[in-house]
Amino acid sequence: MIGTGLLAGVTAILSLTAIPAQAHGERNQEPFLRMRTVQWYDVKWSTSKIKVNDEIVITGKFRLFPDWPSNLPKPDTAFLGNGTPGPVLARTESYINEMPMIQSTSLEIGRDYDFKTVLKGRIPGNHHIHPMLNVENAGPIVGPGSWVEVAGSAADFKLPIATLTGQKIENLETWGLETVYSWHALWLVIGLFWLLWWLRRPLLVPRYKALLAGKEDELVTSTDRKLGVALMGVTLLLVIGGYQWAEAKYPRTIPLQAGKAQVEPLPLPTEQVSVKVKDANYDVPGRSMRMTLKVTNQTSAPVRLGEFSTAGIRFINHKLPVAVAAVDPGFPKELVARTGLAMDDDQPLGAGETRMIRLDLTDTAWEVERLVSMLNDPDSRFGGLLFFYDEKSNRHIANVSGPIVPTFVH
Amino acid sequence: MASTTITKAGGVKLRLYGLDWSPQMAGLSRTFDYLVAAILILAIMAGFHIHAMLTIGDWDFWVDWKDREYWVTITPVLLITFPAAVSYITWEKLRLPFGATLCAVLLVIAEWLTRYHGFHLWSYFPMSFIWPATIIPGAIMLDMILMLTGNALLTAIFGGVIFALIFPATNWTMLAAYHLPVKVMGSEVASVADVIGYAFTRTATPEYLRMIERGTLRTFGGHSTSVAAFFAAFLCIFMYLGWWYLAKWLSNVVTVPNRLKKMMGL
Repeated sequence: MIGTGLLAGVTAILSLTAIPAQAHGERNQEPFLRMRTVQWYDVKWSTSKIKVNDEIVITGKFRLFPDWPSNLPKPDTAFLGNGTPGPVLARTESYINEMPMIQSTSLEIGRDYDFKTVLKGRIPGNHHIHPMLNVENAGPIVGPGSWVEVAGSAADFKLPIATLTGQKIENLETWGLETVYSWHALWLVIGLFWLLWWLRRPLLVPRYKALLAGKEDELVTSTDRKLGVALMGVTLLLVIGGYQWAEAKYPRTIPLQAGKAQVEPLPLPTEQVSVKVKDANYDVPGRSMRMTLKVTNQTSAPVRLGEFSTAGIRFINHKLPVAVAAVDPGFPKELVARTGLAMDDDQPLGAGETRMIRLDLTDTAWEVERLVSMLNDPDSRFGGLLFFYDEKSNRHIANVSGPIVPTFVH
Repeated sequence: MASTTITKAGGVKLRLYGLDWSPQMAGLSRTFDYLVAAILILAIMAGFHIHAMLTIGDWDFWVDWKDREYWVTITPVLLITFPAAVSYITWEKLRLPFGATLCAVLLVIAEWLTRYHGFHLWSYFPMSFIWPATIIPGAIMLDMILMLTGNALLTAIFGGVIFALIFPATNWTMLAAYHLPVKVMGSEVASVADVIGYAFTRTATPEYLRMIERGTLRTFGGHSTSVAAFFAAFLCIFMYLGWWYLAKWLSNVVTVPNRLKKMMGL
């Protein structure tokens, strides 16, 4: 008894002092998921502050990484979701390559896709909003997240829609509820009436003893049977009448829609920069990823490396203005590595030229974003995107992936 | 069913269901009724509700899972279980024809409690998205048929069939409004229920997890619901009997012979 009281007390104290969750545990997603499945880039949030009923638009691109982990199912069935703390925002539109994404679709590994999601403020608060791709049997793969403040009152929220039968629904939150409440209440009253009809009489021991004594006629009387027949009739009449009423009120209905959307990937680039990993290393005490890359410029103009991006974290070459300018002011600061991208040779790589480049990516983000646990993965591989720019600011995106060796001590 | 008589010695006797009871014993028995009822109500409510959540789950949680095939088939087949088992006890031991209705009413109350507090207040889902279905009319029919026939087999055959067949009709009164067609994003046709499911994000429940409209019953055109309901009705006959006899088996009082006593020479 004392133990139970103590437990209840501790639970009550813990629940009163509990701090609400700040995000969705995206850092708990294993690095192989975040670095080698969906590479999100050019992600933008249209605003960081909205009122209830205002809209926020999230746009960007994602590439389904060619070095897709072999232990994960391919994205043959995928759905463009949004990583939010439940339905604090209502989704009104979502597109992949301009195709509406109310249904799931099939995507192709190695290809790029545009996405756009429109969300409407519903529950006031400071919410962490991510784009997200759900892949069947692989789970949700979240993109970078940004804080969005929703101000106002939840009671003001409205989500109107017009039906193809000409009805105007003022708010989907409350649509049809009067009917639902009324029918549930009616059936509950009838059910409770039948229960109380029996519960008002002596119940357990007297009935059990009477049954043993063969007094069955005393237990279920003719009045009970007559009432039962009447109740059967009322029940059937209500069911049939209710069905007819619904059919008359809503003569044109459709079944739930369960098709699969078809979407084409973005066209493949005509020119590209190819990258091969010669060696890659993660320095645990130094929080630094270093890699030696053999880079071949297969485009028709000299290019410079502007950015390395993986798991939503961006390492920018601060010496290249076009790369710096590519970071949207609204992009979460904590996802842009402060030290940026360092390399041993930042000279432009001529058209057709091949060169070995050594990159140094040092930042606490590796630890903060829990990407160091890639060293505990069974396949010990990393992945990411390299963004090269030519003089005309044309961007060429190259995949980079390969095995990675840890350095535990210097 | 209950009457009061004065004995020659001046005492008072109560006659309950044809048997004599002293007022004190009758009072104690009524107190016992209240105590057991309180425990049973909570136990049945919790047990049946968790059974429904674990077996039917999403099909009943969400308005965009209530489809013509799986929901119509699975719900009655899995919800005739507890009513059948409880009916065995209430009818065979007490001649109370309310076991099914008791289960149905308690389930609906439990569902409304969790939908409102857990899904709506806690997780922000609108009530239009999460209202539960009801099986109370089907349960009333089961109880009435059991009371009128007094026979489990006939109740399984007639009651089980009616229980499944009236399930979609009963709930269509509430569901029809959610199957109106709408056009979204300029080119897509969806039902109102689809749009509600799309708008109010279940973060870890993407669209492809919905197990709806996947069977070949779609080849029956507009009659999918009827075919699914008749299939459910067929299964309900066996489910009712199965759970009736399960309750019979579980309600046997089993004693284990005391072998230690024999070993001690007693």
